[in-house]
Amino acid sequence: MIHAHDSLIVLMLGRILIPLVQLYGLYVLFFGQYGPGGGFVGGVIFGTSMILSVLIFGHGASYSTMARTVRHGDGVGLLIFAGVGGLCLIGGGEFLNYAALEIPGLDVASRRYLGIVLAQIGVAVDVGVTAISIVFSLSFDHEDGDSHA
Amino acid sequence: MRDHAPAILFLLPFVTAISLPMVGLKRREWCRPMALVAVSAMGPVALANLMVVLNHGEIRYAFSGWAAPIGIEWVADGLASVVMVVVSFLALLALIHAGPTSPQTLGQRIVPYYTLILLLISALTGIVFAGDLFNVFVFLEVAALSGYALVGVAGGKALVSAFRYLILGTLGASLYLLGVGYFYAATGTLNMADLALRVPALVTSKAIVGGLIFMFLGLAIKMALMPLHGWLPDAYTHAPEAVSPLLASLVTKVALIAWVRIMFGVVGPDTEIEHVPVLILLEELGAIAAVVGALLALTQHELKRMFAYGGISHIGLILVGVGLGNPTGFAGGLFYLINDAVMQAALFFLAGAVVYQYGARTIDELGCLRGQAPWMTGALIVMAMSMVGFPPTGGFFGKWYIILGAIEAHHYFAVAAVILSTILTLAYFVKLFERIFRDRPVSSVMSPVEAPLSLKVSVGAVSATIILLGVWSDPIVGFLLKTAVPTGW
Repeated sequence: MIHAHDSLIVLMLGRILIPLVQLYGLYVLFFGQYGPGGGFVGGVIFGTSMILSVLIFGHGASYSTMARTVRHGDGVGLLIFAGVGGLCLIGGGEFLNYAALEIPGLDVASRRYLGIVLAQIGVAVDVGVTAISIVFSLSFDHEDGDSHA
Repeated sequence: MRDHAPAILFLLPFVTAISLPMVGLKRREWCRPMALVAVSAMGPVALANLMVVLNHGEIRYAFSGWAAPIGIEWVADGLASVVMVVVSFLALLALIHAGPTSPQTLGQRIVPYYTLILLLISALTGIVFAGDLFNVFVFLEVAALSGYALVGVAGGKALVSAFRYLILGTLGASLYLLGVGYFYAATGTLNMADLALRVPALVTSKAIVGGLIFMFLGLAIKMALMPLHGWLPDAYTHAPEAVSPLLASLVTKVALIAWVRIMFGVVGPDTEIEHVPVLILLEELGAIAAVVGALLALTQHELKRMFAYGGISHIGLILVGVGLGNPTGFAGGLFYLINDAVMQAALFFLAGAVVYQYGARTIDELGCLRGQAPWMTGALIVMAMSMVGFPPTGGFFGKWYIILGAIEAHHYFAVAAVILSTILTLAYFVKLFERIFRDRPVSSVMSPVEAPLSLKVSVGAVSATIILLGVWSDPIVGFLLKTAVPTGW
């Protein structure tokens, strides 16, 4: 188990930093459309913010609720990714051919745009969840890990 | 939708695998039915894919719609489609078999257990279809990582074997990746079809030669070719009874398929390195593996370990077949590969059923089958006939075409190796049957348990398939000759 840090400075800085890191993660994720960044990096940064909350406030704290919840979502990101690909298959294109993304009322350019964003969100969710589950599986002792799994 | 079968074949087990952890959070007992449904849906899709390939020629599936050298491409040619039918059929049987034989101590871990099995199956699909070298690496790693975890899932001795498998498997994957890197540095492309245009002109370059050697070493570890087989017997012996059929029948064979694709689809069969024809080298290595593997199998006392060495010897036989350099031997080798996948699954199903029913792990304890299990002994006789190579089983026709090809190529060394390994195989099965049929007191290990239907179905279905492969050997070999043999022969 990881317990809350006892230094007031660290706790205070954590409260300020974590939302900023999360915001930055989202920025990198969506900026990835036009420049360097994207789902993987954004997901890592977002995962880092949750790891930080666990390290600073401990496993049990209300600040770590998000980290505790999302680690059960192994595969949600991949499902989003595969779901986008599946919608393209249904639309008659190849897997992940965004031009065929089956969403009515959109022209090809916005389908491609939406497809890329959704797939990147899937990647980000998966990478973030993976990062946090590594921390949880390393820091729990065994019986505890099993009862939470 | 007709051309989408390769993607659907991959997505069926994959999507189920990634949704299992969430379903398993609330409903642990749903894991097995969901896995069964997903894998049984693969069979019809694989058959439909084979029909499409038969009628309309090979499918080149470009992911995201980006055409080949730029995008990622999967190729469903004749060979891949036939192998895919075998993979989905055997995976389904292995899952059926896994019901009663899975470790009883899994508890909560039953969810990741089925997830890993499904991931392994989807990774095998990926290796079979992958049209570029790097994709092969990715799926080899996915298959191997699931494999390591599945071998060690029961704990105890299996953990050591799993760790050894992990070290050697990672070494193999790294060597393969190094080879791919050399190829990429020399040609600037990873797509197999694109490489096939560029490599022949560069075949004297040190980068290509080095890359080829590294890729071969990497895949040789993965397919457990004779001197590099160290990880296999321990891993298969100590793996849970439910897992070893899946690993033994599919993982090594699929690595061999990947090598066949690189050897015949990328560098070309006539390649010579410093005046050494690569194919001849392969054939000699295969011949050594065929004989030494069978010899090692003869010395074993544990049932599963004996079968594992039998598998090592058969990998050698397949390499002899594909290394002969003529269509007869090539098609024979590939037909033998299909047979070997079925036979290995059959043997490990049987070993699993014997452990489940009688608790017998060593050959000395096999006497408990006498008078007790006529159907099981009958199935074992069918498997032994195929392993040794008696007609009308599939194993006979596979060896027959390999020997025909060897005579055609005037490689009498290969003929001798195949015959010698056949005799040694006969010897270790005689050793087995001697324990079963000779009247000797049996130290009963545990009181027999009635076999559940799923064990009977899996053992029965593979035994029937062995005979059917023999009966249908002619059309299957004809199909392989027509579609899988590299152009120019």
